[in-house]
Amino acid sequence: MSGPERHYFRLNLYHRILHGMVITSFLGLAITGLPLKFAHTGWGKGLSLALGGPFTTGYLHRFFAIVTFTYFALHLGYLARLALAGRHGMFWGPESMVPQPRDIAQMVQHMRYFVGLGPRPRFDRWAYWEKFDYWAVFWGIAIIGSSGLLLWFPAFFSRFLPGWTFNLAIIIHSDEALLAVGFIFTIHFFNTHLRPEKFPMDPVIFTGRISEEEFQRDHPAEYERLKRQGRLDRLQADPPPLWLRNFARVVGFTALAIGLVLIWLIISTALR
Amino acid sequence: MVSGAPGALAAPGAATAEDCLACHADKGLARGAPVRGKALSVFVDEAVLKGSAHASLPCVACHRTATAPHDERLPAVSCAGCHDGQRAALGEGIHGSRKAQAARPSPSCAGCHGTHDVKPAASLSTQTCAACHARQVDLYRSSVHGRSRARGDAEAATCRSCHGPAHKALAKSDPQSSTYHLILPRTCAQCHADPELAKRHGIEVGAVYQQYMDSIHGRAVTRSGLLVAANCSDCHGAHEIRARTDAASRVFRANIPKTCATCHAGIYRDYVESIHGKAAARGAAGAPVCTDCHSAHQIRRVEGAPWQLDVIRECGTCHKESLRTYRDTFHGKVTQLGLTRVAKCSDCHGSHSIQPASDPRSQVSPASIVSTCQQCHPAAGESFAQFHPHADAGDRVRFPRLYWVNLLMISLLVGTFAFFGVHTALWLPRSLVERLRRGRRPAEEPRDP
Repeated sequence: MSGPERHYFRLNLYHRILHGMVITSFLGLAITGLPLKFAHTGWGKGLSLALGGPFTTGYLHRFFAIVTFTYFALHLGYLARLALAGRHGMFWGPESMVPQPRDIAQMVQHMRYFVGLGPRPRFDRWAYWEKFDYWAVFWGIAIIGSSGLLLWFPAFFSRFLPGWTFNLAIIIHSDEALLAVGFIFTIHFFNTHLRPEKFPMDPVIFTGRISEEEFQRDHPAEYERLKRQGRLDRLQADPPPLWLRNFARVVGFTALAIGLVLIWLIISTALR
Repeated sequence: MVSGAPGALAAPGAATAEDCLACHADKGLARGAPVRGKALSVFVDEAVLKGSAHASLPCVACHRTATAPHDERLPAVSCAGCHDGQRAALGEGIHGSRKAQAARPSPSCAGCHGTHDVKPAASLSTQTCAACHARQVDLYRSSVHGRSRARGDAEAATCRSCHGPAHKALAKSDPQSSTYHLILPRTCAQCHADPELAKRHGIEVGAVYQQYMDSIHGRAVTRSGLLVAANCSDCHGAHEIRARTDAASRVFRANIPKTCATCHAGIYRDYVESIHGKAAARGAAGAPVCTDCHSAHQIRRVEGAPWQLDVIRECGTCHKESLRTYRDTFHGKVTQLGLTRVAKCSDCHGSHSIQPASDPRSQVSPASIVSTCQQCHPAAGESFAQFHPHADAGDRVRFPRLYWVNLLMISLLVGTFAFFGVHTALWLPRSLVERLRRGRRPAEEPRDP
């Protein structure tokens, strides 16, 4: 191939900024929350101390919670705006995040492909595991966020709820957070960044751009659909500039490293 | 010790021992002026004289003006003629004080050392002190020091070990005295700061002195000079010190609350009424006494974070389940990380006045629980107090909601990781094959334009 490879926009700036907030607040919440869950371990105590002690750690945890609620609100606002603008296919169809029968079929097909029983499914805009990631975060914020608020303002919520709901909230907040941290730092990291085809990372979330070859391979159904609809050219982009690729590397590898260290600490504690 | 040459004291022509004993060897010899109808014997036993420390001295070395025979009563013997250093020391101590000398019997040289039977100082024993201090010596003899000494333990303390040399002995009210309130710990430390000594004598706590000096009592005594702060003898007693395994000891487990109560009377009043105090009084095994929570020699300020956090563990040595379930909650985890601002055991249950929840006096009784929560959560109400600070998600009978929610969460975790674990395990080799087939041409590394 000669000349710069053709690129297309996969994620717009708004998506990327919001995901930047997700990364920052998620890592922040994990780093400031895990010391409490693992208060009985040496690393839990050490991490809490390094962050300025349990009081400061709790303070930071609430700060990152506010960041989380902010991007959650921004995202809901974004969805509302699209819906009000009459965007088609938001709630169903190939461009929708909503799980659909084809996702189940593609999942089964994908797993058959893993063991050599068939071809790779032709994914559209969102593969089933990407939808799972999205809904995991969506559900996670709702569950962890609401139980967290309950524990943040117990006296206020006790006006509407019996006190034993705080007992439930402790368990739900803590276990769901462990699920979120465990899932993001292993499954999401592998699916998106660490699997050999993407290793060591997929910078699309930072650059927003995907090369034509990768587009055709990873989302062939979308590529052809856009081409057929004549919308592909509108998405054409310059290759990501060097500064953006470097930015992606620095932020991406930092986030990966933090996540992998945390998950290593959690797993080694669980196995002990 | 002895100044002047004894030989020089015997002037030529003075009476010799033979001259003196010519009369004084008579057992019946007595001085006139009978005291209460009894004549005072002036008999001198030659054998005793020869066996004494002064055997080599002539009679006139002490009875300087004696002639043989003599009618006049001889003046009192002045030991200071030779032992002037000792007299000076005696003048500094309590035994030479005007008050002591005015007492009957007053401490004299002969009172301790004897007269013709005078013995070397080293041979004097507690028996000598008992002549005047009978009560103290009696207590001492039944003490761990006295009994050890009687068993032949040469390291066990005698009177002099604590009170110092007899001539210079000072009253314990004297700020210079080795038994003065603020100095006593150092005096005890002459022996008890030595962990080797503790080991030799089977004393369980080796580093008592160092621990005590760092404790609230030790600091109050040595740094602030507080006379009301406990020193060694306030807890252990002085002459009557007994091993803590001895039921008569002030530090015997069952006697400890009473001993602490000599100073901490208000706390004691609460404690004896508490569930712990009552159980301890019944002799219940494991019922806590003061030292179980506060320790003996390492007592710390209760306002300090280290103690407040350690005592949680202390409660947990008996209340294991309560500690375990407490650690599952925010309160328990935050304190585990070292912050004391959240609820600790005593914040809800009280400390010395602790009562079972069924007792209306308890801070966690249904009538008081809301106001207990309000100490930290001012806006708390009835509903708030339905939070269970010791809930156990593993207990299906007592906490069914919690049990099922916990089970649901665990299933969610296990289910998700099981599915995606398999998914990943299958994808990894497939993705590796894909990458190798494609060769090293990573699409995400576009050439610079």
